[in-house]
Amino acid sequence: MRRRLSLYGLTFSLPLLIWQLLFFVFPLVFLIALSFWTVRNFRMQPDFDMVNWTTMYGRAVFWQAYATTLTLAAGAAVLTSILAFPVAYAIAFKLSPRVQRWAIMLMVIPFFTSYLVRVYSWQVFLSDAGIINVMLGWIGLGPYGLLNTPGATLLGFVTLALPLVVLLQLFSLIFIDRTLIEAAHNMRCGRLRTVFAVVIPSARVGLVIAALFAFILSFGDFVSPIYLGGGDPTTLSILITDTTKSGQQWPRAAVIALTMIATLMIVAYLAVRFAYRGRK
Amino acid sequence: MNRENEANRNPLINGALLAYVLLAYLFVFAPIVASFVFSFNSDRFPSIPLGDFSTEWYRAVAADPLVWQGLRNTLLVGVGVGVISTALGFGAAYTDHRYNFLGKQVYLALALLPPTIPVVIMGLAMLAFLSRVNLSGDAGAVIIAHVVICAPFAMAVIRLRLSQMDPSLEPAAWNLGASEWAAMRHVVIPFCRPAILGALFVTMAVSFDEFAIAWFVSGLNETLPVKVLGFLQGQVSPRINAVGTFVFIVSMTLLILAQLLLGRTAAPRKE
Amino acid sequence: MTPVTQAPLVSLEGVAKHFGTYTAVQKMDLQIHEGEFLALMGSSGCGKTTTLRMLAGLEAPSEGVIRLDGKPINDLPSWSRDTPMVWQSLALFPFLTVIENVEFALKMRGLGRTERRRRAEQWLDRMQIAEFAGRNISQLSGGQRQRVALARSLVIEPRILLLDEPLSALDAALKVRMQSVLKTLQRETGITFVYVTHSQSEAFSMADRVVIMSRGKIEQIGTPQDIYRAPRTRFVADFLGSSNIFPGQLTRDGQGRPVLATSSGDFALPAGNAPGIAGQAASLTVLDTRMQIHPQPPQGARNSVAARMIGEEFVGATATIHFETDNGQELRVQKSHEDLADLSLAIGKPFYLSWSPADGHLVQE
Repeated sequence: MRRRLSLYGLTFSLPLLIWQLLFFVFPLVFLIALSFWTVRNFRMQPDFDMVNWTTMYGRAVFWQAYATTLTLAAGAAVLTSILAFPVAYAIAFKLSPRVQRWAIMLMVIPFFTSYLVRVYSWQVFLSDAGIINVMLGWIGLGPYGLLNTPGATLLGFVTLALPLVVLLQLFSLIFIDRTLIEAAHNMRCGRLRTVFAVVIPSARVGLVIAALFAFILSFGDFVSPIYLGGGDPTTLSILITDTTKSGQQWPRAAVIALTMIATLMIVAYLAVRFAYRGRK
Repeated sequence: MNRENEANRNPLINGALLAYVLLAYLFVFAPIVASFVFSFNSDRFPSIPLGDFSTEWYRAVAADPLVWQGLRNTLLVGVGVGVISTALGFGAAYTDHRYNFLGKQVYLALALLPPTIPVVIMGLAMLAFLSRVNLSGDAGAVIIAHVVICAPFAMAVIRLRLSQMDPSLEPAAWNLGASEWAAMRHVVIPFCRPAILGALFVTMAVSFDEFAIAWFVSGLNETLPVKVLGFLQGQVSPRINAVGTFVFIVSMTLLILAQLLLGRTAAPRKE
Repeated sequence: MTPVTQAPLVSLEGVAKHFGTYTAVQKMDLQIHEGEFLALMGSSGCGKTTTLRMLAGLEAPSEGVIRLDGKPINDLPSWSRDTPMVWQSLALFPFLTVIENVEFALKMRGLGRTERRRRAEQWLDRMQIAEFAGRNISQLSGGQRQRVALARSLVIEPRILLLDEPLSALDAALKVRMQSVLKTLQRETGITFVYVTHSQSEAFSMADRVVIMSRGKIEQIGTPQDIYRAPRTRFVADFLGSSNIFPGQLTRDGQGRPVLATSSGDFALPAGNAPGIAGQAASLTVLDTRMQIHPQPPQGARNSVAARMIGEEFVGATATIHFETDNGQELRVQKSHEDLADLSLAIGKPFYLSWSPADGHLVQE
């Protein structure tokens, strides 16, 4: 087979390359330039000024938001991973192949439902006179202010990330060599100990990647923090939307976005290093 | 196949695990099902006990010209995104399938990475860049931005199909007198047809639900999900549920169509 | 059998193929004549398939020239040469019906619909699969698919047909039947067949000439009979597996006659099988059907060796008896049951094996 790229080959290869360069790489690179631009009289001007960086990094609210976002996203990653693992484990090891296929298909559906609609549903569930408080009232509790709390934000993050985390964990568990588990049992390694000593280490890469995706999704989400968390304490993604939509302060939004990308890259790097530690 | 051997099973633990799995699915589907139920509920603030059956939210939505405009925009964008993403994704999948070249890793990273970048950042970057080149503020801008995140999905779906193709099939066509272009038209594309249609539907469904990037770049030409975001920002209104149910049904239809096509693809053939 | 006419239909002149640092085919010269059935045989990785793919235009030679009808075709893409191929996987188009598969090459050549259909139907008829014309490929049996693949390639009535282990997916009985189908087809059409296989029985039962390859080089070219009787190299003898091989050194006996000194003794060489220089390494091969078994040391036999019987296997009317010499070399002898009747064979029993010098064949190391 001729494996050199010819005119024919380029016809298929180039369009995507050009598209992603123009509309993916350029915009991200442009963000860097934009972060040095200045705004005068609500008009942006090309410039090379550190003012946006110093302004943003000089604000306590920015660092508070940073800490909040990082904490919430990390919390969501851990929480989602812990909640998802028994589900993935059960689907991988306890279900017949037919039921397994159904379970996987059902887990795919949420990807194609509106996240906004689901968040709105939770709003209705969590409101002061909402379903959960009514049910708590039946047993003489509450009502509690459930909405507009960090807990509600986390609930939204888990809603967003759980299906993906379950699927990613599932795919790493399914490919574990079953004889490893049998060998562990054979050596009188108990059920729970086998999970921690054999299953989790064998699936570590997949589990870490799944948690990483939960982190990325939560880190960038602005819907749950606003509509379930009430926007307070604020997060970086809320800051970006506010700064962009109301203040026309795009260069400052760019500073936030670039900080977020840098954070994500560091987290991803650490996660991947941790996932593959001691492996070749 | 994946089941544990019988000696390893403890009915109590298995029972608890399965109950937990059901609970998890309940958690995942509760908001989806609730939205559907609320959409037919007369209460403005639904709670239990439920109010009366009502279609007033659907009527309210149907009477809103902005919703219709949003739907029109969404469909326009969805079709555009589906067609372009699938074409680009097909090209990339075919490139990965057939060619080896220096920098292929970078090429594949560019092709697959965009969906992992948070949508707010993509939205901001797109808005800043597209308005700079005077492309922002209309359906075209949304199409451009959505293709960036949808093309990778199309590529993945089609790449999977190509990996099922007998590697001799394309050379066999050349050998029988088909030029590379003719082989593409008469062999590769027909072979990939179910995956191409599947990719079309999947990318349309993704575009159909995407609101964040669309919100940044669409300007006044809001798509339906952006409209929903608007409802959410305004006073709480069960109209969201009516729109949501409608969008859900459309997405599911696309998804099931894709699944049927891809399921046929995956079915073992005696080739 | 091989009508050697004027110029060869295909000639390879110093053709080599490298993939990076790996050399698949080393400088190769080969002539293929019009109307012959040529088999390229060797184990996997010997370069036979690469050679075939170069003929088909699917690989470009790194060096040398390939000529078809005297004209160099190195740079001619696959779709511009009429060198259809039957693939190991058959590579039938799964989304086309049987007749659409057969029409494919005609369609690519721009033939009209009715003419296409007519010619495709002719070939379906000829291959006895006309009744399946409208079926999908997945609905056919292995043998039927084989016929579709042949019809698909032959419908353009080429002068040469390339076949890449086309029978490897079939079961043993079907294989034998398809062999006779192929041979008959080739004889009737007069089309040149170039047939790649690792199977000796396929090559030897169908081909007019066999090319044995190893590590990208031609080891021997000849008719099946020639190769069987007189393998040129130790590799070929080993590969065919039907000879006992005694490696040794050329020398001369007390009377100055050439002999081969081996670890099992000095053996007389066939007359005319000119020995090289004394001291040179060489091997003596003796077909397993040409060895005699004796209960006592044979009188007057110049070539004999003592060996213990270690096993026997029966296939139809013949038996293969396995022996082991004192120094651990395994030997085999093939005989009919009658020949063995008065020998009272038993495992572990010592025997003497002998052969006439004329049945020995000296090969290069």
